[in-house]
Amino acid sequence: MQRIVIPGEKLSDTAVRMHNTLVHQGKTYSTIVGLYNDEKNILIPMEGLWHPAYGDTVVGVIEEDRLNTYNVNLNSPYKGLLISKFVQEQLNKGDLVEASVKELDKTQTVVLMRPRKLTGGKVFMITPSKVPRVLGKGNNMIKELTTSTKCNIIVGNNGVVWIKGGNMQLAMDAILRIQEEAHTSGLTDRIKEMLSKG
Amino acid sequence: MAGGEKPELIINGKRLDGRGPADLRPIKIEPNVVKNAAGSAYVEWGNNKIIAAVHGPKEALPKHTSDPEKAVIKCRYMMAPFSSLEGHGRTGPNRRSIEISKVTKEVFENVVMLELFPGTEIDIYVEVLQGDGGTRAAGITAAAVAMALSGIPMRDVPYAVSAGKIGEMVVLDLNMIEDNYSDADMPVAVKPLTNEALLLQMDGSFTKEQFKEAMNLIIESGKEIHQAQEEAIKRPYKEIMDKYEK
Repeated sequence: MQRIVIPGEKLSDTAVRMHNTLVHQGKTYSTIVGLYNDEKNILIPMEGLWHPAYGDTVVGVIEEDRLNTYNVNLNSPYKGLLISKFVQEQLNKGDLVEASVKELDKTQTVVLMRPRKLTGGKVFMITPSKVPRVLGKGNNMIKELTTSTKCNIIVGNNGVVWIKGGNMQLAMDAILRIQEEAHTSGLTDRIKEMLSKG
Repeated sequence: MAGGEKPELIINGKRLDGRGPADLRPIKIEPNVVKNAAGSAYVEWGNNKIIAAVHGPKEALPKHTSDPEKAVIKCRYMMAPFSSLEGHGRTGPNRRSIEISKVTKEVFENVVMLELFPGTEIDIYVEVLQGDGGTRAAGITAAAVAMALSGIPMRDVPYAVSAGKIGEMVVLDLNMIEDNYSDADMPVAVKPLTNEALLLQMDGSFTKEQFKEAMNLIIESGKEIHQAQEEAIKRPYKEIMDKYEK
């Protein structure tokens, strides 16, 4: 049974190891607004920030072209850093890039690797905690979106989405709807219906 | 504080607005009212009307304010020029609003998990549109809802309420007139999980017994305030869930 919980709400009478929780006097409490499944012991955040991890895909904007590095704006408190040595193509200030996270350092900087310049298309933001729902189980949702709208879609774990080609408006509407209704069940069917109507 | 003759504040055991000594004014909380903030809330508490918004975490600027160990909280409490009968807010930040900004900041430094976001800042804005006594308590209550809705991890959702003394009677949630002529006024912010005080200020004086009675009233009424906060935080998600399930 799923229920919505708020920070400080008791999840379990025993100490359970979970993300976004704290243990106080042997009991487990939530620290975020989330959806808690007490059978599977899973707490899914409703809103939330991106916590970078190795291998995450990100979409960002080149903010500064330094001597040996590029600074990348990732729409988060973390700063992105690209080392020029590993950049294959010419990048300029204002360019949009897709990259993956190579390493994190202690100074809130995310070192990126394998950058790819994105030209044209549209960019918009979603809540980072809803990204897994947009991708779907085994990338099902995003596959459904790309096949029915014929769009190129890149969803960054930092919540920045890039789309190009095909029915862009429909793809955007669908992704924003997934974001809004992420905590409801039967969402895949509703999105399929929405996409088939066009 | 205010001059002139002291009016009769309690008539036949009832207060001026018809409340008993331990009654709260009606509270209404509206979540997500500001689109550009990470989280926001609008509170109507009696005649108080307050908007609270939370931004961030973002890079701490100017750089010397940042802390490499944890996030820093910056808070701005402001009264609108039209918010009250006195000169509150008419000439920008003053001694009073700087003080309230500071105590609000300290409440949230003790509940927000700052260690998760080193080197960043979290901004809290509390704007009083209409003030009628107890705005710092209402502001903290609103900011707590805004903070929860922004998705920043926190240990608890704090609430605040004031207690006071009229003559020898301990009363809860003073309004402007009671505040101006009462013998004591004590705003308290509480962490409901452990009932720890996060803010404790007092004008006037209490005896030891009256202080204990006041704290009991605050913790008892806090359940009602916390329930209003909980309902407001859950409402936007419940609405969508109810629409599609069953």
